[in-house]
Amino acid sequence: MLTVVDYGMGNLGSIVNMFRKIGVQAVVTAEPAGIERADKLLLPGVGAFDTAMTRIKQQGLLDLLNKKAMVEKVPILGVCLGMQLLTDSSEEGSLPGLGWIPARTLAFKGRLDTGRFKVPHMGWNIVEKHTESPLTAGFGSFEEVRFYFVHSYFVKCDDDRHSILKTTYGFHFDSGVQNGNIFGAQFHPEKSHTFGMRLFRNFARL
Amino acid sequence: MIDDLKEQYATGTSAGEARLAAIVERIKKDGKGRKYDCVVGVSGGTDSSYMLYKAVEWGLRPLAAHYDNTWNSAIATENIKKVLKRLKVDLFTYVVDNKEIDDIFRSFFLADAPEIDGPTDLALAEVLYRAASQHGVKYILEGHSFMTEGVAPLANIYFDGKYIRSVHAMFGRLPMKTYPLMDFAAFMKWIVFKRIRKVRPFWYMAYRKEDARAFLEKDCDWMYYSGHHLENRMTAFNHSYYLPKKFGIDLRNLSLSASVRSGQMSRQEALQRYSEPPHLEDDLLEYFKKRLGLGDEEFERVMRRPPKSYRDYPTYKSLFEKLRPFFYVMAKMDLVPMSFYIKYTSKTGV
Amino acid sequence: MLRTRVIPCLLLNDESLVKTVKFDAYTYIGDPVNTVRIFNELEVDELVFLDITASRQSRRPNFTILEDIANECFMPLAYGGGVCDIEDVGRIFGIGFEKVVINSHAVEAPDFIRRVADKFGSQSVIGSIDARKNLFGRYEVFTHGGTRKVSRNPLEWAQELERLGAGELLLTSMDQDGTWAGFDIKLTASVTSKVQIPVIANGGAGTVRHIVDVVRKGGASAVAVGSMVVFQGKDLGVLVNFPGKKELEDAL
Repeated sequence: MLTVVDYGMGNLGSIVNMFRKIGVQAVVTAEPAGIERADKLLLPGVGAFDTAMTRIKQQGLLDLLNKKAMVEKVPILGVCLGMQLLTDSSEEGSLPGLGWIPARTLAFKGRLDTGRFKVPHMGWNIVEKHTESPLTAGFGSFEEVRFYFVHSYFVKCDDDRHSILKTTYGFHFDSGVQNGNIFGAQFHPEKSHTFGMRLFRNFARL
Repeated sequence: MIDDLKEQYATGTSAGEARLAAIVERIKKDGKGRKYDCVVGVSGGTDSSYMLYKAVEWGLRPLAAHYDNTWNSAIATENIKKVLKRLKVDLFTYVVDNKEIDDIFRSFFLADAPEIDGPTDLALAEVLYRAASQHGVKYILEGHSFMTEGVAPLANIYFDGKYIRSVHAMFGRLPMKTYPLMDFAAFMKWIVFKRIRKVRPFWYMAYRKEDARAFLEKDCDWMYYSGHHLENRMTAFNHSYYLPKKFGIDLRNLSLSASVRSGQMSRQEALQRYSEPPHLEDDLLEYFKKRLGLGDEEFERVMRRPPKSYRDYPTYKSLFEKLRPFFYVMAKMDLVPMSFYIKYTSKTGV
Repeated sequence: MLRTRVIPCLLLNDESLVKTVKFDAYTYIGDPVNTVRIFNELEVDELVFLDITASRQSRRPNFTILEDIANECFMPLAYGGGVCDIEDVGRIFGIGFEKVVINSHAVEAPDFIRRVADKFGSQSVIGSIDARKNLFGRYEVFTHGGTRKVSRNPLEWAQELERLGAGELLLTSMDQDGTWAGFDIKLTASVTSKVQIPVIANGGAGTVRHIVDVVRKGGASAVAVGSMVVFQGKDLGVLVNFPGKKELEDAL
């Protein structure tokens, strides 16, 4: 069962709505027991890095998630802040991330000319395919593929092969990542119409 | 009866077309000096869209009028937009209050009456008259074709203003304020005092729906919705679920047999299409229940109840029957459609 | 490339959609949820819903309608109208909206925006400014659906809202509202030049050209459109529509 992890941060309603729309059964749970049973996990997230990591620990989910990810190797998709949590660390906070993808989360501020590029990166932007991935199947030539982004921090993979999608905002950054069974999307599929639906469908089919 | 009408109107013959041309000339003459000379009702569907093209082609200056019952689909609004933009025609819209119309729909549902979409059809007629009256226009062009649609046997569907008012009075909860009800007084005002005429060009000329559709798609990227009337969600519910399930009425019967009769479709093809269940959009039922405030159980219960008909409620039917001679004259003058005379004023049905 | 967002701004009055002209004269547009479904099918970028009588009537948001709307939408949604309680804000986000638009309450309780931004992030707060020219041609700010004048000028207020943590600003010209005559470029430019956060220009859109102008000359990061997407044209019938994707792409 596709399980959405509820640690108190994120647009859970919209995510579940979209899965329902595409005919995929999904449950939302904050309970370890529910997560234990999951054969696929979705890690949402809107807000601050440290707050998220703290909550995950406080809810007693950290070890369980590690087990699901590293030992059982179930497919896990991190969305928006959820993708940033997959990395080793973030300039937004001081706590370590889940570290399932060797990467760092960095700030746009200081690296962008904020006269020309406002922060957060907010709006519809296009993605380009980088490394092949089952998550990004069926989008054709990616000519018109766009997603909705809202974020002030971006991810940089240590190993470029883990980057499956790239987006340009002042410079190239990794908008989609994969490391084995671990996947990440920096944008909000649940807010990206038919593009998001295709991506979610691909994830559900893994 | 179709054959009678065909004879009467000389449909598809040069005689029929000549009569139509004469009518068009009269419309132009009567409309001189005004911004518009005719009103065409639009819904985003094939008939009305094609009607508008023809009107412009014939040199008329139409005003497009639309009654929005707040259940439109994007296909409908997009088609209206495309056709009007292409032909440079202005749009007059009347939007009813969503809560009010849902209350009226709900009343018909709870009344076990088949005419749940009757309020929409009657409101459209009233809105066309209002649009015409507001702009001093004397002619309403309707894209109805008895060749492709047939004329429904009386037993099936019937609606008039008194019927709607009675059903609403019995089962409704909200006052009727924005719903454009055509009661008898309004009806008489339009046809006797304002003398606004209804013209149905497709009764005179050859009209094939498939050809019209292909033309529209090519000329302005118009989009076909699957099936009949599915540009509006209430109509979709009505045709694809409500009428077949509760009343055993499949309106496709009407248009399919009409198409066969006029040679536009083979009988085999018609039978094949008929045997396929009507197409139902995902979560259409959910949407219907949600808007009308019906729980699943209540919905099922009402659907299972025995059907009623207009005969169970106060209507104008007997009044129309008494006025049969009067309406004959009105029909001859194009003040009411001949099909109205045939269907509404006859005692026995067709 | 980040596309300029063109955002239908829909006005809720009670449980119906309406459109105003200069913040007055309502025209009835239709059912909110059905209209949202249409915009969904037209794949618009984003939607803003404003309950225009909530503050005036000291009402709280109508959560039932918001839920119905959020269930239909798969694009970003913002809600404004009587937002004054942080619990309500949490509930609105839980329902599936991404952002809240705060207007009147920002004036009544300036630290409210700060609290919402701290708890949910700046990107979730749109500070809304309704402005109108007075007899002397100077801009004044109004709240409560354009009924109460407050002693601030739009520029200072914009900077203050930014300081308080708003992630974006919705700048509405009351004079241009519903006129199809184009945005107030001067007003927009004066604000965008003074703040770092994105400004959504609102009020007056009639053509794609207007949109291009307020983006290029006014510095707007996004535009809100009202009459343009609910009427066939000026003084014409109600028709829910959206400029074609290609048309917008070519222009912007």
